[in-house]
Amino acid sequence: MARHQAVNKTRPTIQNLSGTIFRVVQYMSDYKKLFFVVILMVIISSVLSLLGPYFLGAAVDDLIKNLDGTYLVQMIILLLVIFVLQSITTWLQNYWMITVAQNTIFSMRKHLFSHVLTLPLLFFQKRQSGDLMSRLTNDVENVSRTLNTAVIQLITSILTLVGTVVMMVVLSPLLTLLTLTIVPLMFLGMNWITKRTSVHFKKQQQQLGDINGFIEETLSGHKMIKLFSKENEVIEVFDQKNKELKHEGYWAQVYSGFIPKLMNSLNNLSFTIIVGIGALFVLNDMITIGTIVTFTTYSRQFTRPLNDLANQYNVILSAVAGAERVFAIIDEAEEEDSTKKLPDLTIKRGEVTFQSVSFSYEAGVETLKDISFRAKAGDTVALVGPTGAGKTTIISLLARFYDVNKGKIMIDHQDTAHYSRASIREQMGIVLQDSYLFDTTIKENIRYGKLDAEDEEVIAAAKAANAHSFIAQLPNGYDTILDSNGKEISHGQRQLISIARAVLADPAILILDEATSSIDTITEIKIIDAFQRLMRKRTSFVIAHRLNTIRNADLILVFDTGKLIEHGTHHELMKKKGYYYDLLTTRDGEGSLGAS
Amino acid sequence: MSQILKYVGTYKKATIIALALMVTELIVELVQPMIMATIIDEGIAKREFDTVMIWSGVLLGLTVVAFVAGIVSSFYASESSQGVSHDLRRDLFRRVQSFSALQMQRFSTPSLITRMTADITQIQGLLFMFMRIGLRAPLFILFGLVAALSIHAKLALILVLVIPVLVVVMYWIMTQGLTLFSSVQTKLDDVNRAFRENLLGIRLVKAYHRINHEKERFFKVNQVLVEFNKKALWLMEVTMPILMLVINGSIVVILWYGYKETAQGGAQPGQIVAILNYATRMLASFGVFSFIIMNLSRGRASSARITEVLQEKEEEPITELNQLKGSIKGDIQLQHVSFTYPNSVEKALDNISLDIKAWEKVGVLGETGSGKSTLLQLIPLLYPVTAGRLLIDGKSVGEKQGLIRDHVSLVPQEVQLFSGTIKENIAWGNKHATMEEIVQAAKDANIHDFINQLEEGYETKIGQRGVNLSGGQKQRVSIARALIKNPSILLLDDSTSALDAKTERKVLQAIKDRKCTTVIVAQKVSSVIDADQIVILQHGKVVGIGSHADLLADNTMYRQIYQSQMNEDVISHG
Repeated sequence: MARHQAVNKTRPTIQNLSGTIFRVVQYMSDYKKLFFVVILMVIISSVLSLLGPYFLGAAVDDLIKNLDGTYLVQMIILLLVIFVLQSITTWLQNYWMITVAQNTIFSMRKHLFSHVLTLPLLFFQKRQSGDLMSRLTNDVENVSRTLNTAVIQLITSILTLVGTVVMMVVLSPLLTLLTLTIVPLMFLGMNWITKRTSVHFKKQQQQLGDINGFIEETLSGHKMIKLFSKENEVIEVFDQKNKELKHEGYWAQVYSGFIPKLMNSLNNLSFTIIVGIGALFVLNDMITIGTIVTFTTYSRQFTRPLNDLANQYNVILSAVAGAERVFAIIDEAEEEDSTKKLPDLTIKRGEVTFQSVSFSYEAGVETLKDISFRAKAGDTVALVGPTGAGKTTIISLLARFYDVNKGKIMIDHQDTAHYSRASIREQMGIVLQDSYLFDTTIKENIRYGKLDAEDEEVIAAAKAANAHSFIAQLPNGYDTILDSNGKEISHGQRQLISIARAVLADPAILILDEATSSIDTITEIKIIDAFQRLMRKRTSFVIAHRLNTIRNADLILVFDTGKLIEHGTHHELMKKKGYYYDLLTTRDGEGSLGAS
Repeated sequence: MSQILKYVGTYKKATIIALALMVTELIVELVQPMIMATIIDEGIAKREFDTVMIWSGVLLGLTVVAFVAGIVSSFYASESSQGVSHDLRRDLFRRVQSFSALQMQRFSTPSLITRMTADITQIQGLLFMFMRIGLRAPLFILFGLVAALSIHAKLALILVLVIPVLVVVMYWIMTQGLTLFSSVQTKLDDVNRAFRENLLGIRLVKAYHRINHEKERFFKVNQVLVEFNKKALWLMEVTMPILMLVINGSIVVILWYGYKETAQGGAQPGQIVAILNYATRMLASFGVFSFIIMNLSRGRASSARITEVLQEKEEEPITELNQLKGSIKGDIQLQHVSFTYPNSVEKALDNISLDIKAWEKVGVLGETGSGKSTLLQLIPLLYPVTAGRLLIDGKSVGEKQGLIRDHVSLVPQEVQLFSGTIKENIAWGNKHATMEEIVQAAKDANIHDFINQLEEGYETKIGQRGVNLSGGQKQRVSIARALIKNPSILLLDDSTSALDAKTERKVLQAIKDRKCTTVIVAQKVSSVIDADQIVILQHGKVVGIGSHADLLADNTMYRQIYQSQMNEDVISHG
C-alpha cells in the first residue's frame, strides 16, 4: 500500500529502453550465473505460492469428505514441504538479488567515477554542477534501489498474475469469470481517481515548492527581517500561502485516499462473489468447498499484483531514465585517448615557448588570437590585462586543460601536444584563484601536493608558504578538519594552504592565479611574500594584480581581447607609454589590473 | 510526539470520525470469514439454498457499507492531517520569526528549513497513514485473533501463541534494520561527498594529476557503502520468508488439529475454513508492519525536531514589536563591551569602548575574524552584549528593539535580496516610500543608471526566477534599501567590496552627505580615509583609534596596512 503515491508521478521520457536495459545488464555480466539462479528461484517461489492455496483447498475437501484422514497426512506433509520451500526460495532470491544488484551498482559507480575524472575540463564548464551531482548520486541510487527489489517484484507479479488466472480457470472457469468482473471496475475506478489526483497533486506540488521557497528565503534572510522589523508582514504572506497549500493538499489527499479504499472494496466484492455464488455452485455440485477456500486466497493474490504492476512499471521506467542520464556521461569522450599512450615529458630547464597559438572555446569565437612569446628558464612571467582578455586561458593551455586550435606550445623545445598530459601536469604547480580544498585535515590538503610526503615536509612547506603560524594557532593544528563551508579558516588562509600545497609539489614550472579580492590586508602581505619565495629559481607564470609582482617580473605580457598587445619588462613598457602605461596611470580603476 | 498529539486535538472530531469509519471497515472484514463459516456450515452442509442467499446478501451489503465508510473516511482523515500540518507550519513559522539572531545561529538555517519543510511533510504523511492503515494492521491482527478464538478457541490457540512471538521478532529485525540503514546513509554521504569534492575540485585534481589517488579513495568508500547496504538489505529481506514460514506453519497446524477435532465432532469444516482465512489475512497485515515501523521511526525523529523548535523560548516576541514610537538622534556609546558567541570560548569582542557622536563618520579596519562584523551587529541589537553597556543617545537600549531597528540600517556583508522586483526590494526598507524616494535612494547608491538600462527598469524581477545581478549590483540595491529607511544610524559591513574604486567613491560621497551617524567596516584604507575616527580591531580588541593622520603617526599596524595598500593604489588609481 505504500506504493500508491508513486502512481501520480509523471512518467519520465526514455530514449532507448531496450538499449539502456541491455547496458545495465552488461554491468551484471560478472554475476550472470547468479542472476539466472535468482530468476530460477523467483519462478519456483511463484509456482509454490500458487500450489500452496491449491493444496490447502484440496486438504479442506479431503478433511470434509474422508474422515479417516489417510490422504490428509500426505496432504499436510506436502503442504509443509511447499511452505518451507517457498520461504527458502523467497529468501534466497532476495539474498542473491541484493548481492547481484549491489555488486552491479558498485561497478557502475566505479566506472562512472573513473570516467568523470578523465573528462576534459570543458565538459565541466558546460554542465551545471547541480545537474551532474544529481546524476552521479540520485540517478545511481535510483538504479540501485530498483535493481534491489523492483526486478524481482515485476517478475513475481507477472508470474503470479498469470499463474493465478490459469489455476482459477482450471478450478472453475465460471467462478473465474465472475471474479474477473472486478477488473474492469478497478480500471474504471483507478482512472477516475488518477485523473483527479494528478491535477491536485500538481497544484499541491507547485504550492509546496512556493511555500518552501518562501521559507528558505525568509529563514536565510532572518537578520534582514529583524533589521527591518518585517516579522508581521512575512507572517501575513506566509499564512496566505499556507492556507492555499492546505486547500490543495486536502483534495490531493482525499482523492489519493480513495485508491486503497477502492482496492479493499474490490477485494471485499470478489470475496462476496466467491463465497456467495461459490456456495450456490457447491450446492449444485459444480465445485467443492475446498475450491472456495483456494479461490478466496487466489483472488487476493490476483488483485495485489495487478495494482503493483502499474507502480513497478513506473519505478522501473524512472530507473531506466536515470540509467540513461548516467550513461550519457559515460559516453562523453575522454580528455585523452587512453588507447594511444603518449610518452612522458621530463622538464629539465623549464623554457616555455608559445608559437602562434590560437584557441576558441566555441567555434567561431576566438578567445586567443595568434599568441607568440618565449619565457626563458627561471623567468617570472606576469600576465596582465582586463577580465576576459585571455590570461586564464593561457595558463590553462600551458597545463593542457585544453588543446590549442592552431600553433604550438613548447616546453624545452618539445611540442607538449606530443606528450602525455599526466607527465606535464605532474611537473607543474598550479595555485588557482578559487583555492579549492578538500573536506579533510589541513595536513592532508597540503600533502596533496606530494602524496608520500612526511609530516616534516608538510610543515616545512607550510612554513615556506607563511601558513604555519596560523595553522599552529588552531586548536587542532594541522589536524583541523576543513569543511566546504569554510567556517574554520578565512579565504586568505585557504589561499595560503593551497600555496603550501604547491610548495610541497616542488614543480619545475609554477602557475599562480593571484587573486586577492576578498582577502584582508594582513593575510595579503603574507601571501605576496609566500608567492615571491615560491617563484624564485623556477619558471613562473603569474596572473598578476599587484604592482610588486609585476614590477619585478622578467617578462610582462599585456593582453586585451585575446591578443598579446605588449610585452617587455616594466621599465620598457613604461617607457613605451602604451596600453600598459595607460593601465597604470589612469585614475579610473574600472577595468584595470585590479579587476579579475 | 505528545506535542504533536496536542495539534491533533484541534481536529478531534475529524480524527475520531476517520478512526471510527476505519474501524467500521475493519469490522466488515473481520465478519466476512464468520459469515463464510455460516454459509458453509449452515447453508452448504445442510443444503439450504435460502440461507446461502440471505448471508450472501448480507456480505454484499457489508461490502457496500465498507466502501462508503472508506470513501467518507478519506475526507475526514485528510482534513485532520492537512489541518495539523497547516497549524504546525503556521506555528513554527511564527516561532522562528520571534527568534533572535543567536537562536537562529544555534539551530542553523538549513536545519530550520528542513524542519519546516521535510519534517512537516513527514508528520503529515505519518498521521494520514495512521488514520488509514497504520492502526488498521495491528487492530486487524488483534481483533482477528479475538474473532478466531470466538469461532473455535482450541483451533485458534496456535495463533495466540505464534503472533506475539512474531511481533517481537519483526520489531527486533526492524529496529536493527533501521540502525543499519542510518549507517548506510552516512556511507552514502561519504560516496556523495567524494563525488562532489571531485566535481568542484576537478581543476585541482587535474592540475596535480591525482586521478589514480582519487580513484583509489573512491574505490574504498564505494566498497564500504556496498558492504553496508548489503548487510542492511539482507537483514530486512529475512522478514518476509520468516513471516510466511510461521503463518503458513500455523495454517498446517490448524489443519491438523482441525482434522482431529472434526473427527471427534468438535469442529465444523466451515469453522476451520474461517480460521484459515483469518490466518492468511493476518499474514497480509503483517506485511505492512515494516512499512509502519519505518514511518513511525522517521516520524518520531521529525516530531522531536519540530518539538524542539516549538519549545524554544521566543526571545523577541512579535507582539511587542512596532509599539514604541519615537526618534533617535544617533549617539552611540560602547562602554567596556564584550561579546562571546554561544558555544565559543574565545571572546569575539573584548572590552571595547567607543564614543560616537551623532552624524559622525566612523571607519573600522581589521583582519578577517577580528570582530568587525560582530561589532556592527551589536548596534541594532541583533546580539546582546555579554558584558558592558551599549548606549544609544546616552540611554540604555533595554528592550527597545523595535524602535532602534526602525532607525538603524545595517547593510550586511552578504547581501540578501528577496525574490520580487528591484522596486520591491528597495521599497522593502520603507513600504510607504514614494517612487521619487525610491529613485533617490537608487541614485545615492549609484544603481539608478543601471536599473534604467534594464528593459523593465524598476519592475525587473530578481532572485530565484529573475535576472541575476552581479555582486556589485546586489550590494548597491542593498545599500539603496538601507538608505530609503532614512536611518539615524547607518552601518555598512564591507558593503562596497565588489564596487570599483570610482563607483565606491561616489556611493561613499552620497552617504557622507546624509545626516546620519555612519559606521563603515572596510578592507581598504581608502574607503575610510576621510572618517572622523578610524577604529583598528585585532582579535576582538581595539588596538588603535583616531583620525587617519593620528593613526599614521603613531600606529604601526595602521601604517603597515596603509603602505601595503598604497602600492595597490598605484595600480588601481594611478
